[in-house]
Amino acid sequence: MEREVLIAELVRLVGRENVLSSAMHYKLYEYDASLIRSKPDCVVLPISTEQVSRVVKFAHDHKIRIIARGAGTNLSGGSVSIQGGIAIVMTKMNQILDLDIENQRVVVEPGVVTLDLKSVLAKHGYLYQPDPASEKVTTIGGNFGENAGGPHCLKYGVTSNHVLGVEVVLSDGQVVQMGGKALDNPGYDLMGVLGASEGTLAIVTKAILRIMPKAEAVKTMLCIYNSIEDGGNTVTAIIEDGIIPATLEMMDNLTIKAVEEAYHVGFPTDAAAILIIEIDGLKDGMERLTERILAICREHNVREIRVAKDQAERDKIWAGRKGAFGAVGRLRPNYLVNDGTVPRTRLPETLAKVVEIGKKYRLPIANVFHAGDGNLHPLILFDERDKDELERVHAAATEIMKVCAQMGGTISGEHGIGLEKLHGMSMIFSPKDIAAMKKVKEAFDPLNLMNPGKVLPEAEKAA
Amino acid sequence: MSNATQLASALAQMVGQANVIQDQDSVKAYAVDGMTPKAVVSPGSVEEISKLLAYANSEKLAVIPRGNGTKMAQGGVPRKLDVVLSMLRINRITEHDVPNLSLSVQAGMTLAAVQEKLAGTGKGSFLPLDPPCSEKATIGGIIATNASGPRRYLYNTARDLLLGIKAVSPNGDIVAFGGKTVKNVSGYDMTKLMIGSWGALGVITEITTKLLPLPEASATLLMSFDDLARAAAMTRRVLHSAMLPSAMELISEGAAARMKEKGKYLVAFSLEGVNEAVERQAAEIAEIGKKEGAAGSRVFRGQEDRAFWLGIRNFALAAQTPVVLKSNFVISKQAEILESYEKHAQAAGIDCAFIGHAGNGILMTYVLGSEVAQPDRLADLIAKFTAEAVQKEGNLVVESCPTELKGKIEVWGQLRTDAMVMRRLKEKMDPAAVLNPGRFVGGI
Repeated sequence: MEREVLIAELVRLVGRENVLSSAMHYKLYEYDASLIRSKPDCVVLPISTEQVSRVVKFAHDHKIRIIARGAGTNLSGGSVSIQGGIAIVMTKMNQILDLDIENQRVVVEPGVVTLDLKSVLAKHGYLYQPDPASEKVTTIGGNFGENAGGPHCLKYGVTSNHVLGVEVVLSDGQVVQMGGKALDNPGYDLMGVLGASEGTLAIVTKAILRIMPKAEAVKTMLCIYNSIEDGGNTVTAIIEDGIIPATLEMMDNLTIKAVEEAYHVGFPTDAAAILIIEIDGLKDGMERLTERILAICREHNVREIRVAKDQAERDKIWAGRKGAFGAVGRLRPNYLVNDGTVPRTRLPETLAKVVEIGKKYRLPIANVFHAGDGNLHPLILFDERDKDELERVHAAATEIMKVCAQMGGTISGEHGIGLEKLHGMSMIFSPKDIAAMKKVKEAFDPLNLMNPGKVLPEAEKAA
Repeated sequence: MSNATQLASALAQMVGQANVIQDQDSVKAYAVDGMTPKAVVSPGSVEEISKLLAYANSEKLAVIPRGNGTKMAQGGVPRKLDVVLSMLRINRITEHDVPNLSLSVQAGMTLAAVQEKLAGTGKGSFLPLDPPCSEKATIGGIIATNASGPRRYLYNTARDLLLGIKAVSPNGDIVAFGGKTVKNVSGYDMTKLMIGSWGALGVITEITTKLLPLPEASATLLMSFDDLARAAAMTRRVLHSAMLPSAMELISEGAAARMKEKGKYLVAFSLEGVNEAVERQAAEIAEIGKKEGAAGSRVFRGQEDRAFWLGIRNFALAAQTPVVLKSNFVISKQAEILESYEKHAQAAGIDCAFIGHAGNGILMTYVLGSEVAQPDRLADLIAKFTAEAVQKEGNLVVESCPTELKGKIEVWGQLRTDAMVMRRLKEKMDPAAVLNPGRFVGGI
């Protein structure tokens, strides 16, 4: 279909004010937080489920590819229109529809920004647990599409553990409800398979989320190490001792220095590693638990321990952690972040391999990771104008994925496969595993119009 | 050669003669809703299951997977049944990674055996699932039916615990999804899709799950109330407080009597964690109870504590109730649902006991006595219960009932808009309708 005709049709379906059609607009929606760029043929910003349904049905009837997007913060090319088509941007659907404290649920449109929701809930003493570092800008729809994690997922689980119901538009435009405010609706857990499906199965137009009362007490500890290995071993020892903290976050020296330079949060720039440990729950026994944890840190040669005395000190520590990507981003023109994940006991040896890979490819790598989850975030720093360096970056990233797979882990813990990691799928799945996943795709989207070319590799590559 | 002898020799070739049951009297014990299988097969390896399903797929045979059979009365009447696939020989722990707090275990092992092994290894851990019949129920059966129990209030359910699943697809493909990391977004989350899928998308052969360290201390706080409004107010207070009991159950008088406990309505809390937190919660929740007008309050510890929760989980077994119903609804409507159910049951003259997961919006109904002799009256009551639950944004699933009742009721509750997607998925993944045909939602 000619672009002019396509635009005229979309204007008819959703109104002039909800269609973007200038060259500048295409450029604005050609990227996410990965290195991948590709322009959509047209951009619509629907304001209702009805409008989403109309656009999807239109696309279905004319076999036009579609891609749903939130804030575009995802890290693997998942929200880039690599095959053109219509970009359906969900950010105008940003209302909290029902704050149902009595039933401990909240119903939101997918364009609601995660932190905005949390701020509203905080006024009622309630929490939505998932806390991706990008929560200031990411949307709930995007969080679900990627199944975003965050530091507190160690104890509370990832986004899909907190999404209990969805309203979705299927590939033919039909609107369907899955799950709901009540638990255990009969039938297949279709909602479960939608989490992390990166918009390849359906478009979420409403989400019902689990909310919880705020914990009574929280304790945040900053532990400073002269060796990254000691930090990693502390993590394993804490879990092995039968303690599951709310978070176990680590940063290496390069990251610490970058964070300190950018935010001045008081991190010691000569430390090899810092470990942020947070426990939460009832106040009873918390002092004793803290002592047990600190004893384990000491056994593993901790250099210094700082226990946050108040909320302000706690906020400062977290500002350092959540700003880590941004701070590291100041060091070189570009970075590529991997999120391979290993069983947490294999973390120290995996890190050693990552350091080796950095040396081998002559690339600086900053490490920030959800240590308790075994979820790495090596940030490979480079300049994309240097073609040779760019090639080395991709080779290093692939090698890191291989190492994670060999350690009994996986190639992506929370950032998604998108396009960037497609070639890594065969490191962890057999052609039969992928064939089974393909059947799910075919059941939901028989014409392969929804975000085509993502998540599942082509058959010949899988074989 | 007759069809029967053909089948017999094919099966014997796959799993060995000793692992095929085919004589008329023996297979009767494996009938599902009165439908007798032609054979019962007990493969000894995943490869044998693969061969069996590939054969069933090409011969268009209907296969029903089975563990210890505690759930065989649930689900719609099968459209067809040729082979019952017993998973009991696939029953090993394949990997217990103690420091990683993860476990990989095959489908045929019982949960009780798993828990015993975990408790006795290292500092001790457990798999936080406490479904009914946990002495007999197998891991495969529990996961395939997404069975849960009172402690889901704190620990949630299988979809929040499992890290990976291995299965055999209906065409015989051996597949593995997820892994052993606590975070994983590589490919579709097929693990969640398999949980609660009733073995209709594939036969679950192994799961990998997170474990939790054994709690340092535990106790039960049991309170009685003279009326439902007070008991409900009590659960609401705790639900919205910072207290973290691992279970919060609301028990009707009829159910209490069967458990040899006195009281019109009971509210039971399971308290687990560090010593200080258990003691403080026991005191503070009891204090809330006083303010809400509790008639009595007791604390159980040790053996008494364990026995109480086993009694709740195995209620249906002990009371020998042939009909068990599970209603779900929004959490705040627990008392309204229970009140209306009691009224409907009384009006129908049908004796029912009720136990609810008061913090989760789930109510179990156990039909006592011999009311099953009057299927029409019972069907009418179930329809009324279902309508009440649907009106409160939930549904009703029949967890157990005699076959003759199944034609008169919707065993999976009211169909919702997503049923059409489930049908498409089933047809795509199991086009020859090999696994459990007819037993799941919407007759798929």
